[in-house]
Amino acid sequence: MTISAQSPRTAHVIHSDAEAIAVAHKLAACFAIEASVRDRERRLPIAELDEFSASGLWGITVPKEYGGAGVSYVTVAEVIKIISSADSSLGQIPQNHLGVLDILLQTATEEQKRYYFGKVLKGYRFGNAFSESKSKNAGAFETRIRFDKDTAQIDGEKFYCTGALFAHIVPAVAVDEENKAFIAFIERDTPGLTVIDSWDGFGQRTTASGGVTLNEVKVPLSAVIPAHKAFDEPTADGPISQIIQAAVDTGIAVGALEEAKRYAREARPWIDSGQDHGWQDPFSIAAIGDLEWRVHGTEAILKKAGRAIDHALLNPNEDAVARASVVVAQAKVLSAEIALLASSKLFELAGTRSVLGKYNLDRHWRNARTHTLHDPARWKYHLIGNYLLNGVKPARHAWN
Amino acid sequence: MNALTQPIIAGQPLAKSQHDLHNARSVLDATLRFVRQQAQATDDPFVISRFGDLHIRIEVAAALLERAEDFRSSVDDDTEISVAIAESHLASADALNAVSNAEFELTGQRTALPGSLDDPLRWKLHLIGNFRLNGIHPPSVRSVV
Repeated sequence: MTISAQSPRTAHVIHSDAEAIAVAHKLAACFAIEASVRDRERRLPIAELDEFSASGLWGITVPKEYGGAGVSYVTVAEVIKIISSADSSLGQIPQNHLGVLDILLQTATEEQKRYYFGKVLKGYRFGNAFSESKSKNAGAFETRIRFDKDTAQIDGEKFYCTGALFAHIVPAVAVDEENKAFIAFIERDTPGLTVIDSWDGFGQRTTASGGVTLNEVKVPLSAVIPAHKAFDEPTADGPISQIIQAAVDTGIAVGALEEAKRYAREARPWIDSGQDHGWQDPFSIAAIGDLEWRVHGTEAILKKAGRAIDHALLNPNEDAVARASVVVAQAKVLSAEIALLASSKLFELAGTRSVLGKYNLDRHWRNARTHTLHDPARWKYHLIGNYLLNGVKPARHAWN
Repeated sequence: MNALTQPIIAGQPLAKSQHDLHNARSVLDATLRFVRQQAQATDDPFVISRFGDLHIRIEVAAALLERAEDFRSSVDDDTEISVAIAESHLASADALNAVSNAEFELTGQRTALPGSLDDPLRWKLHLIGNFRLNGIHPPSVRSVV
């Protein structure tokens, strides 16, 4: 099945960090209402996405000199967390769009920046055709780009293409003969570009993170940027990609904890507790206390990670970028763990009735388990420990 | 006085968190110094990632201490402040406990750090949970410090 993106509408332009947070809260309240139904029916959030990008939230990182709000990454993380606490599929869909905006900022020509930032402020959505499921590892690409005089041709096959189905422009990563990575911005209706709605994962069900095939796709050279430069030189692009992952998972944890409290209030008392109500159970109460401090600790580190990225953007040197990678890795580990813990404890505290299909509460755990697989927390412990013990700076790529 | 006889007091001072966090950092530094002298240990992926875990716990403790300090100066609700302080106590105690165990496991040594073991942490979890789940405010007992 393929779906063509609707033509973009006019988008509101957000002007400040505070406005971005307020808009996110308002949207999240709407998105929460049918989040469970969308998950159950795997109903793709097409109308919701139009509302999301029209709100201006997809343009908040466009720098002020290009007409955007240039918000802090503390705010970006907060916005993604708020949306994800309501519907983590919706929270995940802009993750590559936001990553690409930073790669544009770091590696595009002035003319390209004006053109693409302008499109984003008008409500255009970027998808992504980055990852490949058949290459040796996550950082290896077999998709090729060949340059002619005025055009470039891209051929290959992509997977985990979150957002591509709903995008107006699909940025695709491809390598040249020297294995250097470029990003080509491909209009959604370009001949040879096919987006396949093949995502049937048990979690993040409505992200449509399916496949893209690129068959003799031709773009003008003005639509290609030398993305490899974002990692050849020290830039914050890796930490930016990662903080959005951590913000999605923190949002899942926040949403699951709220549900845990709601359903724990209604639980029957355990027979041996001697209580009249489940909410009087001292062990359940303490278990909520444990989740609370862990969620707040994760949120506090997520904020620190945002500040470390802001610092690295102002001071793009090896030390600042390494420090941002390390703090973001802390947020990544904590958010992955608390998302899984809260979404599992939810059932323990709410009791057996909470597993009934009609509640669909398992969507929190399914979403947590699926999204936290993006990159393994076990190697983040190693990254942080190696920096602390041996002073080794993290490798620079999109997963650190 | 120990963790079984010490009463749970709302409004306990943040000095407790500062104390535990300071000790956690000292123990971590001592452990790092010891391990850096063992050439093979600094290459061991499991030792390396263990330090990642310890560093995260200490950073969480520091962040929740900062958060509780912010609450004290900017929030006008005694319960919210008490709960933020209790969360900070839990995080610092968790960090200290984790680094102490790791020190013993990795180096065979134990730095004696009295003063942190008389805290009834289990009842802090209850204090936090009872407010967040049931809206029940902790008994208001004024801090002695």
